[in-house]
Amino acid sequence: MKNYISPVILAALVALAILGPGAFGLPDGTTAPPYSKPAWLDSSIASKVTIGVKSDISRGHVGASSNLEWDYSPPARVSITGTLDEGRLEWITPERAYLLADSPGELDLDARDIPFKKSLGISPFADMSKSLFPSRGTYKLSLAGGGDVVMTIEGGRWGILGTDHRGRDVTSLFIRGIRISLIVGIAATLIATILGVSLGLLSGYVGGLADSVIMRGVDVLLSIPTLPILMVLSGVWGKGLWNLVFILSIFSWMGTTRTIRAMTLTLRDASWVEGLRALGAKRSYIIFRHLVPEALPLLLANVALGVPGAILAEAGISFLGLSDPRLPSWGRMLHEAHTYGAFTSGAWWTILPAGLGISIICLVFMDIGRKLEELADPRLARAASIEARAEAGK
Amino acid sequence: MKSFLARLGESIIVILVVLVLNFFLFRIMPGDPLTGIVDPRFSPEAKQQLAAQWGLDRPMSEQFFVYAREMLSFRFGLSMMSGTPVWDELKNRVPNTVALLLPALILSAALGIATGVHAALHRGSGSERLVMLGGAVSFSFPSFFVQLLLLMCFSYLWPIFPLRGTTSVPPPEGFAALTDYIWHLALPLFSLVILGFGGFALYIRNMMVKAMGEDYILMARARGLPFRRVVWNHAFRGILPPVLTILLLSLPGVVSGAVITETVFSMNGVGRFLLEATNSHDYPAAGAAFFLLALLTVGCNLLADICYVLVDPRVRREGARE
Repeated sequence: MKNYISPVILAALVALAILGPGAFGLPDGTTAPPYSKPAWLDSSIASKVTIGVKSDISRGHVGASSNLEWDYSPPARVSITGTLDEGRLEWITPERAYLLADSPGELDLDARDIPFKKSLGISPFADMSKSLFPSRGTYKLSLAGGGDVVMTIEGGRWGILGTDHRGRDVTSLFIRGIRISLIVGIAATLIATILGVSLGLLSGYVGGLADSVIMRGVDVLLSIPTLPILMVLSGVWGKGLWNLVFILSIFSWMGTTRTIRAMTLTLRDASWVEGLRALGAKRSYIIFRHLVPEALPLLLANVALGVPGAILAEAGISFLGLSDPRLPSWGRMLHEAHTYGAFTSGAWWTILPAGLGISIICLVFMDIGRKLEELADPRLARAASIEARAEAGK
Repeated sequence: MKSFLARLGESIIVILVVLVLNFFLFRIMPGDPLTGIVDPRFSPEAKQQLAAQWGLDRPMSEQFFVYAREMLSFRFGLSMMSGTPVWDELKNRVPNTVALLLPALILSAALGIATGVHAALHRGSGSERLVMLGGAVSFSFPSFFVQLLLLMCFSYLWPIFPLRGTTSVPPPEGFAALTDYIWHLALPLFSLVILGFGGFALYIRNMMVKAMGEDYILMARARGLPFRRVVWNHAFRGILPPVLTILLLSLPGVVSGAVITETVFSMNGVGRFLLEATNSHDYPAAGAAFFLLALLTVGCNLLADICYVLVDPRVRREGARE
């Protein structure tokens, strides 16, 4: 049972990434007040409510009203839109009545508008939703005359994971983040592996000048802090998704090269390879028909083990605000939470999902990689890693 | 000695590569480095004057030598944003970064060794689980996420540590300045230790388990040596060179971590300076900060090499034969 947990989680994440937030009817863009709480969190806060009144004078109506049972704390936003043909629009609270409008025309009122506050006799600095919703009880939107008016009350409660500083649905952002992480992680690691294998084979099998140049390159790249280079490069070469993949992959091939080189060195002198050479096999034939297939299972494990590094690097760059702002990645979500005061709003729901998402996806790939490594060839894997370690320590 | 000289040569090569990389990184990009500060309404003469001020009108090869001289003499030229020498802005930040990274490295190595060895000796115990957990956190939790959580817990929900900065504003005087500095440093340092020790501990545990199964350990125990001495003077002594290698290989990552840590905690260090300079396209400043971070890595690498000579008798003997 335990062996299936990681693949199942990975499959679920891939499915979510392919389906996208649209499949669950989750909205894009601003949908609710900023930092709305998750809907299940606090039932004293209302979610979005709309009430409307409609009365058509040409049909002989003289007015309309609709009631609202309010059992929550004051809402985060109140707005009124529609048209008033004639008569008066009133908001009747359990305590008093407010005259919202009495001149005919288009209505577009928001509880944050200062002229609207003044017209109701509320201080411009006061929170109008508290005046409009002073207590729990029955409220009434009443229209005497003709018109078609909708009142939208947004309580500050939204979806499974609430909203971020721009009022975007965090669940939707989270699901879109999976896609970015998977694409960047897998694509960057694949490219880096191809690069690493070619250079490792070149260095290990061909040897000579190529070997010393490549190994020097590996040593140098391994002893330079890569994040600053990645930062500068993403600042310089543009912030698109594929730019990022490219940048990440040219700085993460070194480990694979070392492993493959160590493996090739052990295999090159193996008697069966010597036998192949004695039979007159060409170098390319030995490499592509024998060495590469031999290394393939180990490589697969290497890819899986390399993905977390790429995902973490992408998240780091996005967290520093150096990624494309239009790409809703998990690192970007954390960057925005950190920059736009999620703490002071107590909005943990903008931090936990993204952070845990990165951690879980990394743990899953690590686990799968380790299983693959064991499956591949325990003896060979161990030999190669000891060899690589000895190399590193020489 | 010979191996140490070889390492010194390698370090110099690394610095040269960094120097060249740094130069071309900022010059291969499309567009003019001046676009950040030049207004479209500037006259061509004014643009030329600005280009001359940063030496951008000279041929590329000459630019490179001027640049290399500026870098190696630690002057770093003028910042494109403020117009002041970059070193003036950087020199106050270098001690802050060192004060964060060096204790973090030492503490996480010490904690990693202690828990790793303990876990190897007590298989299946609580400390082994701690090492496994620490390893998982090290390898798969993004550092900034852990740091954001710490910041949220200990600076916002239970505010015992400051939310941001390197010192209070305004900074206190005298002895209080030191405690204030340490108070601001505590949480970032703690986060780096939590994030760093697990990786070391996991390696050390694995190597220690293997070492404790070796014949020479059995021999030492058969000779009736105290267990503690067998563990530390025989088994741990034997794995010290690879431990140092791992420490060495982790250095670039630690320095990279400085950028993120300083950003999360809004600290006044070289890493955040690099981020700010990159964001404002201030190329001389960003280049200088990158160069300093690379230099820090290479310097620590050299330091580790010296330790290597001290702990590995094979390397030492090779030196004695010279």
